Amino acid sequence: MKTFAKRLKTMLKVDARRMFTMPAVWIMFGISLALPVLILVMTSFVGVAEAGEGAVAFTNVWQAIGSAGGMSMDLTGMCNINLLYFLAAIFTCLFVGEDFRSGYVKNLFTVRSRKIDYVLSKTIVLFAAACGMFLCYFAGAMIGGGIAGLSFDTAEVGASAGGIALCMISKIFFAPVFVSIALTLATVGKQRLWLSVLGTLAAGMLLFTMIPMMTPLNAGAFHVVLCVLGGPLFATGLGAVSCVILNKTSLV
Amino acid sequence: MNAIEIRNLSKRYGEKYAVNGLDMTVPQGAIYGFIGENGSGKSTTEKLICGLIRPSGGTIRLWGKDHRDQEVRSRVGVLIESPGCFPNYSVWNNMKLQAANLGIRNENEEIRRVLRLVRMDGAASNKFKNCSLGMKQRIGIAFALLGDPALLVLDEPINGLDADGMRIMREILTGLSARGTTVLISSHILGELEKIATHYGILRGGKLLKEMTAEELNADCPTYVALKTEDTERAREVLARAFGRVETDGETGEIRVYGAYAEGVAKYLYGNFGIPVTELRTAKISLEEYYIDLMREGRE
Repeated sequence: MKTFAKRLKTMLKVDARRMFTMPAVWIMFGISLALPVLILVMTSFVGVAEAGEGAVAFTNVWQAIGSAGGMSMDLTGMCNINLLYFLAAIFTCLFVGEDFRSGYVKNLFTVRSRKIDYVLSKTIVLFAAACGMFLCYFAGAMIGGGIAGLSFDTAEVGASAGGIALCMISKIFFAPVFVSIALTLATVGKQRLWLSVLGTLAAGMLLFTMIPMMTPLNAGAFHVVLCVLGGPLFATGLGAVSCVILNKTSLV
Repeated sequence: MNAIEIRNLSKRYGEKYAVNGLDMTVPQGAIYGFIGENGSGKSTTEKLICGLIRPSGGTIRLWGKDHRDQEVRSRVGVLIESPGCFPNYSVWNNMKLQAANLGIRNENEEIRRVLRLVRMDGAASNKFKNCSLGMKQRIGIAFALLGDPALLVLDEPINGLDADGMRIMREILTGLSARGTTVLISSHILGELEKIATHYGILRGGKLLKEMTAEELNADCPTYVALKTEDTERAREVLARAFGRVETDGETGEIRVYGAYAEGVAKYLYGNFGIPVTELRTAKISLEEYYIDLMREGRE
């Protein structure tokens, strides 16, 4: 009898192999890298005079990562790294949905009855993909800021280098929340990709205003602990729900 | 030991029962032909056995253990409806994923072995979406054979196969059965099934109508006298009066007389009515005919 660790290891191997051979993951990384470059460069080219005060607000590169005090309803508050949560969630729906649409789950769950292996493995690899996306966005923001000639001064946005590092860690560890929501909705939607994507977007809208509070630009240890513990805990809880859904519903 | 034992199995969708109180036994090493009309519950039963859907009631035991048991499940190979492959992946990469899922040690060797078995080794690098229907079926069978399972559950595996594909399939399944592998195979191509099945289960309306061995089926299949005359209409009329069940093949003009001896029929026709018989033979009805009769009786 295979131990849980061995089963998870083989499942992770399969999922990682699948994910990194999937064009969608590289497209998502590409979008994550290009998005901040486009946002920062294009908004700085348009200029304040033509677009109006409220529309163009990127004066500092770190605004693309977050804001120091809560969510602002201007361009910087809407078009920053937090958009990646939606991207990660949509990728989760695509990845899990393909398992159902291709009939791969038939092969899988015939030889493996434990749904927990599937849910856990998917959560881990999709979290890894989300990490990749966040890092790509960060790199893209640096490139975009450089091209647009924006300021890199952290004090200007009320943060410090350490605070920004902690902010990034918090944001990355908040990703399992979105991943697990999308995973649960994908197990509900099964072959109906549209259902899981719509559900995920709706759930994301509700959570979107919470993200700046949980992961501010001047994040401290409290925010990191909250996200590092809260994210995986939330994912565990919803993972259990996904397992129940997979166990109680027809897989084909 | 029986490979599959199903007792009082039921699956309900809303108010409608897809499977209703099914009892079924598949002995180890058997090739069990699972027959039934469309919607009779064959695929549902197979999905239930594989744990892909949850039963509404009843039990399924594989080698005496609950069918959800992890160890038991790892010994089952499945082809249900279509092979579960990613269309943009190559055949080889799809098989690599399943081999990894099964925890096969020598993945490459095992994949080569099963692809060779289904004569698909030349198509390993093809993208799955570019394969023809017949190729996809063979790949599906190769998928099911990965890891040398002790039980194969195949749903309509010969659909889309050409004559050569069907022959290969026959060879594979009979070879596996000889080695002790149990095969549960559903198909509408009864002529092919008849060549390989050792046991049969006939399903109707979610219930098992009949379960029997190939020998029992053979004994149960009535013999008939097939004959041709120059006056088919008259011969049919007089034979029907004397022998009861008489059928005529509209295309060939052959008359079938059930429950009679060839010589007796010929003598009766010529002696009493002067109708000469031009062709005469004794035959048994095929599985297909037996099945059609059984379904007809059920409806009546």
